[in-house]
Amino acid sequence: MSKYNFPSIIETNELSNLRLEVRNFITKSINDGDFSPTADAWVFSASPDFSKKIGTMGWLGMSFPRKYGGHERTALERYIVTEELLASGAPVAAHWIADRQSGSQILRFGTEEQKNLIIPKITSGECFFAIGMSEPDSGSDLASVKTKATKTNDGWKLEGRKIWSTGAHIAHYMIVLARTSPASKENRHEGLSQFLVDLSFPNIKIKGIEDMTGQRHFNETLFDNVILSKESLLGEEGKGWSQVVGELALERSGPERFLSHFTLLEKFIGEFRISLLKSGSSLVGKLIAELQTLRRMSFSVASMLQNGNSPETQAAFVKELGNRFEKMMIESLREISNIIPLYEWPTSLQNLFEDATLRIPSNSLRGGTTEIMKGIIARQLGLR
Amino acid sequence: MNNELDIISETTTKIFSKHITHELRQNINDNNTSLINLWKDIEEQGLTKIIVKEQFEGSNLPFNSILPVIQISTMMGVPVPFTETIICNYLFSELNISPPNGMITFAVETKNIKILNNKVSGNLLSIPYLNLTDQVIFITDIDKEKHLVFIKNKNGKMEATKNFLSEPRYNLTIQDCEILTIKKLNNNINFNHLGAIIRSAQMVGAMEKIINLSIDYCSQRIQFGRSLSKFQAIQHQIAEMAVELAASTAALASLNNFNELTPKLEDIAILKIRTGIAAGKLIAISHQVHGAMGFTKEYELSYFTKNLNSWRNDFGSEACWQELLGKSFLEKSNLNLWEYLTNKSI
Ligand SMILES: Cc1cc2nc3c(=O)[nH]c(=O)nc-3n(C[C@H](O)[C@H](O)[C@H](O)COP(=O)(O)OP(=O)(O)OC[C@H]3O[C@@H](n4cnc5c(N)ncnc54)[C@H](O)[C@@H]3O)c2cc1C
Repeated sequence: MSKYNFPSIIETNELSNLRLEVRNFITKSINDGDFSPTADAWVFSASPDFSKKIGTMGWLGMSFPRKYGGHERTALERYIVTEELLASGAPVAAHWIADRQSGSQILRFGTEEQKNLIIPKITSGECFFAIGMSEPDSGSDLASVKTKATKTNDGWKLEGRKIWSTGAHIAHYMIVLARTSPASKENRHEGLSQFLVDLSFPNIKIKGIEDMTGQRHFNETLFDNVILSKESLLGEEGKGWSQVVGELALERSGPERFLSHFTLLEKFIGEFRISLLKSGSSLVGKLIAELQTLRRMSFSVASMLQNGNSPETQAAFVKELGNRFEKMMIESLREISNIIPLYEWPTSLQNLFEDATLRIPSNSLRGGTTEIMKGIIARQLGLR
Repeated sequence: MNNELDIISETTTKIFSKHITHELRQNINDNNTSLINLWKDIEEQGLTKIIVKEQFEGSNLPFNSILPVIQISTMMGVPVPFTETIICNYLFSELNISPPNGMITFAVETKNIKILNNKVSGNLLSIPYLNLTDQVIFITDIDKEKHLVFIKNKNGKMEATKNFLSEPRYNLTIQDCEILTIKKLNNNINFNHLGAIIRSAQMVGAMEKIINLSIDYCSQRIQFGRSLSKFQAIQHQIAEMAVELAASTAALASLNNFNELTPKLEDIAILKIRTGIAAGKLIAISHQVHGAMGFTKEYELSYFTKNLNSWRNDFGSEACWQELLGKSFLEKSNLNLWEYLTNKSI
């Protein structure tokens, strides 16, 4: 039964208190005019100021060791904080990737020097990261990346092109997956390495790409013979693939996979509660059942991570179900809009709905596609 | 999982694998000696009294201990009222009545119940396995309070229902039938909730079996010169089933937080909704990947999918529970959705 197992984890009173603390902080921030809630804020809404405030509150790098400025709290505590931030549509995009995966990756594989240099700044909300995995010719087939790092006398020379990197235009670093030696015939995953690249270095060009919603949040990054020191290598040379796989479990299992558009749902219900009670209870009940189940699964994965496991398959389950839930939710609101016509919605709600409708196709692409998630699950079931 | 439960799970698996064949499932009647032997073993090992109090020779484990046992039994397709007896014995024990020996079953619903001078008349509906036992309990309102009634069916009118051709079920019409026991239910016991929980646990067990059957079948069946499991379309179909099962097991696991029988209404609703949705998807997908073979009676897939159809509807379908859950939130107008979802006392 283990493949399908998501042990139930209880939210302790301490965790609930933390939840309230974050919630009060957010309410105050909204009242103070620090931000107004948006949909898909962890990708689309960056505010370095807000990130710094979150850092000051001690809510970044929560599980990182104290000696690097971290707070040595649990993955479950981090889970509670991220849930509250996501549910309120707070502008968390600037620090999201650094806090979610890059910091952990450096702590796991980095040198003492790298940790001392970077982790304290991630924790204070002043150092942002981008993910340098995809390339123009390498999407789902990540192992086929062509960006190349060649050894020089005193370091490396990086050459290639990364694409779709969310937030690279405001990030300080990118973790770049590059080829350091040719793949062997038997194993295409060999010969890849990860690099910690300071994006302020010369010969790096970052160009924003306008997405279909008219926003520029992802980028193409050109590395034109970028000179890197020996210390830029993250982890072990040639072990890039196994390092990336662990990173993806962090990337895929979190509550952003089902709470990206929660603000829309909350606002919708706030607006139409009485009409829903008359003719939409069943739909609301279904959404609650799906959402609550997802929260349990994701919280359960957080505890697996806390215990040092690398729940790759469980993360794929969460991502796949979460993506599906979000699409279903938006379709459901459309269905209800037959009862409550769109033109009767307040403008702010209409805008949220339209943003969500436009952005939703990307949720099952970013972080690995539906087809790739199903492939991971099929492999776990012994079908591949 | 604690040790005692591990041992019980192991025993359950052993007993069931010794007795159960697909042929046995197709001959559910009271003169099938294999069924009688199976039941003898089940009772001898105390499996029907896992959550019965010690004073009634039970193991006195917490309520949720039966969930893995029920999952195993349904995974193996046990064709006797095992789950039903566990629940009936539990109710007896909670009411401080010594549970009777043998198989006991229950009526999922009742109609026109009239009680007079310790005799009862009326319609008891959708009783599983009434052809194997005459011991039946049902729940009825007396002065607006829920009571458990225990009878032995002597000469009631038994009418087999179709029940999706799943496990045998009967509607029973009784006239002045003697009441053996009648007692008011404790306030913390809700028969309908109990039913929803056990049917959900059964669905989870059956769904795991269905996925295993699909994996085995598709790995062995060769078309276009390779096994079906090598086709990506098939792999993704099976992955889809696994995703649904994962959500259902997570919903079931939430009941593990409760050692007493007071799981929250919301948790039960979520469980029944989530497993019901998953069941619908698994029925469709598993039959699709099995081709015509899955559509036969001889191959065991349909035994499990037919059960899913039936259990989905017992004790409230998804639609009923969705309505109830949606209302329970919408009516609490002092809470927004996020406060509701994160409120532990709900
Ligand atoms: C909003 C957004 C943000 C992103 N941010 C980042 C980022 O920060 N960093 C980064 O590195 N990348 C990022 N990505 C890129 C993302 O990881 C890729 O889009 C994704 O991995 C898919 O790659 P692709 O777009 O090249 O599609 P392709 O791989 O070309 O796939 C196209 C379609 O074919 C399907 N397909 C591909 N291979 C198979 C197969 N073997 N079997 C069946 N179907 C298959 C895919 O599932 C998909 O449906 C982002 C993408 C989006 C949309």
